[in-house]
Amino acid sequence: MKKPIIEARNVSFTYEGAKKPAVDGVSLTVMEGEFLAILGRNGSGKSTFAKLLNALQLPTAGELTVNGISPATEDDCYEVRKSCGMVFQNPDNQIVTTIVEEDCAFGLENLGTEPAEIRRRVDDALRSVGMSDFAQASPAMLSGGQKQRVAVAGVLAMRPRIIVFDESTAMLDPIGRRDVFSLARRLNLEEGITVVWITHFMEEAALADRLVVMDGGRIALEGAPREVFAKTEKVLSLGLDVPEMMKLTRALRDRGVKLPEGLMTVNETSLALRRLPRSQSGAAKSASTMSKSVKAHRPVIEVNALTHVYMPGTPFEAKALDSVSLRICEGEFIGIIGHTGSGKSTLISHLNGLEKSAPGEVTVNGVDLGAKGTDLIAMRRAVGLVFQYPEYQLFEETVAKDVAYGPTNLGLDAAEIDSRVEWALRQVGLDPKEVGEKSPFELSGGQKRRVAIAGVLAMKPSILILDEPAAGLDPQGRRDMLDLIRGIHDAGTTVVMVSHSMDDVGRCCDRLYVLSKGEVAYSGTPAEVFLHDRKLHEIGLDVPECAKLARLLREAGFDMPEGIYRAEDVCDAIVRNLRGGEAAC
Amino acid sequence: MLKNVTLGQYFPGESLIHRLDPRTKLLATVALIAIVFVVQGFAGFMLIAAFVLACAASTGIHLKFLFKGLKPLMFIILFTFILNLFFQSAGNALVQVGPVKITDTGLRMASFMAVRLILLVVCSQLLTLTTSPIALTDGLETLFRPLQAIHFPAHEIAMMMSIALRFIPTLMDEADKIMKAQKARGANFETGSLIQRAKAMIPLLVPLFVGAFRRAEELALAMDARCYRGGAGRTRMKQLKFGRIDLLAAAVLVLLLAAVILLNRFVAF
Repeated sequence: MKKPIIEARNVSFTYEGAKKPAVDGVSLTVMEGEFLAILGRNGSGKSTFAKLLNALQLPTAGELTVNGISPATEDDCYEVRKSCGMVFQNPDNQIVTTIVEEDCAFGLENLGTEPAEIRRRVDDALRSVGMSDFAQASPAMLSGGQKQRVAVAGVLAMRPRIIVFDESTAMLDPIGRRDVFSLARRLNLEEGITVVWITHFMEEAALADRLVVMDGGRIALEGAPREVFAKTEKVLSLGLDVPEMMKLTRALRDRGVKLPEGLMTVNETSLALRRLPRSQSGAAKSASTMSKSVKAHRPVIEVNALTHVYMPGTPFEAKALDSVSLRICEGEFIGIIGHTGSGKSTLISHLNGLEKSAPGEVTVNGVDLGAKGTDLIAMRRAVGLVFQYPEYQLFEETVAKDVAYGPTNLGLDAAEIDSRVEWALRQVGLDPKEVGEKSPFELSGGQKRRVAIAGVLAMKPSILILDEPAAGLDPQGRRDMLDLIRGIHDAGTTVVMVSHSMDDVGRCCDRLYVLSKGEVAYSGTPAEVFLHDRKLHEIGLDVPECAKLARLLREAGFDMPEGIYRAEDVCDAIVRNLRGGEAAC
Repeated sequence: MLKNVTLGQYFPGESLIHRLDPRTKLLATVALIAIVFVVQGFAGFMLIAAFVLACAASTGIHLKFLFKGLKPLMFIILFTFILNLFFQSAGNALVQVGPVKITDTGLRMASFMAVRLILLVVCSQLLTLTTSPIALTDGLETLFRPLQAIHFPAHEIAMMMSIALRFIPTLMDEADKIMKAQKARGANFETGSLIQRAKAMIPLLVPLFVGAFRRAEELALAMDARCYRGGAGRTRMKQLKFGRIDLLAAAVLVLLLAAVILLNRFVAF
């Protein structure tokens, strides 16, 4: 019989000076050995709740028991933290020392454990997370996913009964994310550790035993992932998303396909569809999606055989770019995909002359950036570059002044600057009157990012390059950000978006370049690129869920056009394949 | 990229000197520096130089790294050399141009001071090349621990040093990123008057500081979550232990000191 290990009764917490409680009367019981996921938009109180579980904050009202302790005194808090470990979001900001195994020992050293025992437990913990080979490494040399595994090992060494993961995968690339999630799942299944998994990723939440959705500090929905996601409208209204398959099967049901409710994964959906009667004709001819109209405009950026070597002549020498060639035409929406370290960020730094390399050539609007005497300021005016987490670059007292920084550097006159600031803020969906005089540091995360993008837009670039513009945002923020960028593109700007989300680039982009180890591995329309799904998986990238489903169905004898990946197209093709499907069309 | 550079100049290795307790190495360096000051003639310097070179050779570290540390100090060494060379009036004149003369005593003094400085730098260089920054902080913490009785915050200082070492590469990386981002907005860090350039740093420094404070806050929380309560009651996984090689090192240093004293006495060079 499982026992409750966390019991919250009417727990509330109000930050000092805040009017509204961040956590507002939450009652929740977590059983020993459970894998509980908590979802919720930014500001829904889930991170605050996590801090209460770890006794980093104490409830201002209500009663919270963690592993049999209701923390009241400092010593209680200490006891709670011993049994309930926590892994935070930013992998860089939770590692204390310069050697992996020393960091892993940090918690046990604080507990005053015997040195020999620390040694043994640290070795065990590192083995358990698969980081033994890196015991002597410096954390600065590790990838984000590896750093998070070290953080897990540091918690694990303390032999906790509960581990709380507070958006621990938010800053990782798909490989790192998969890695850390499956590690948590394995610790839960094999070692019986209770896991509280806070996330913005629906596909992770879908794999939990139970799901809690928070909103405004309260629990809005609770239940098995299937049950919760089945309330699609409600989930969307809470600023979240439902797994792609849930949306697809719903659309299919709406078109008369008899599918059960609650299908969440590609495999389940494929199995259910294969059980349905197929149309006899087999001649369910469907138009190929391959022939997408390619706009034949003039090229605005051309890269020829660009090679970039980091720290040449040192032991750390590495080829970041290896003979990369690409061409971006006026008015296109280009996606550049690749995992961390594939050279994406290095590549875009070359596109407006921030970095220069030989051999290789980069031309913007026909001007060679490497040539002597090239006016780089003019190039930066032509090519706007928004880096990852651009909100961390804000510095001015007011939003308006910050946005004005770029235009001022261009030497424009005051009236023009003012009008551009106003225009740029409107472009990103902010009201210049409302936010213009505020400090950028007062704004919410999503708003800050918009201000940072406005700061680049105000230079009126004809080409806009964005590095992971949706990273770390909640699902609603993600949708809004992509809409915003599509709007900028529709208004006539050429857009290059760097991403590791195939879903995002599939939805937005005309053409894609896939980078792997500094080389262009694949390029073409999304449909053309997604044909290489197996190989993409090998280099750590995924194709959209619908493309995966299409492949499984094609292998099962369905007539699915090659390279199909959009939900609407996949839905159409499935309906045509099923008996009576034509009638429903 | 910046983050790939290990901080300090530690060269990992398994040599005898690498394996010495960091406290031994710290104390030995202090002792070696003291011995350098005991030396009165070039014979003593030659002995010490031979000793240091032998130590360095045993570690497998390329000699060029040993002398790399001299580069930033070259100016001071040269300055000392020239000062001694020209302002020593005693002794026989070797060269005389107007009021400026170089005497044999002057040349000897100048060379003596320069060699002494070079040896001092090379000795400390040997310490940092063979000891990881974390071992150094550990060593310092343990050496200064007795002073906690008079409320000297040995643990806190060591913890701060260790965190600083951990975050310097991260912050350097961040500075690089912010600089690029502001350049992409047309910032100019390279040209202009001193005041203009100082002003141009504001868009770099403000985000860097804001970021550092954010990181500090998150780190503090992460340390709390792992039961950190300061130095009291804390144990260490890696216990510093003096071994036989440390005893050996001490013996070698005593011998070296004796040899230097003998050389001072009986060799005039």
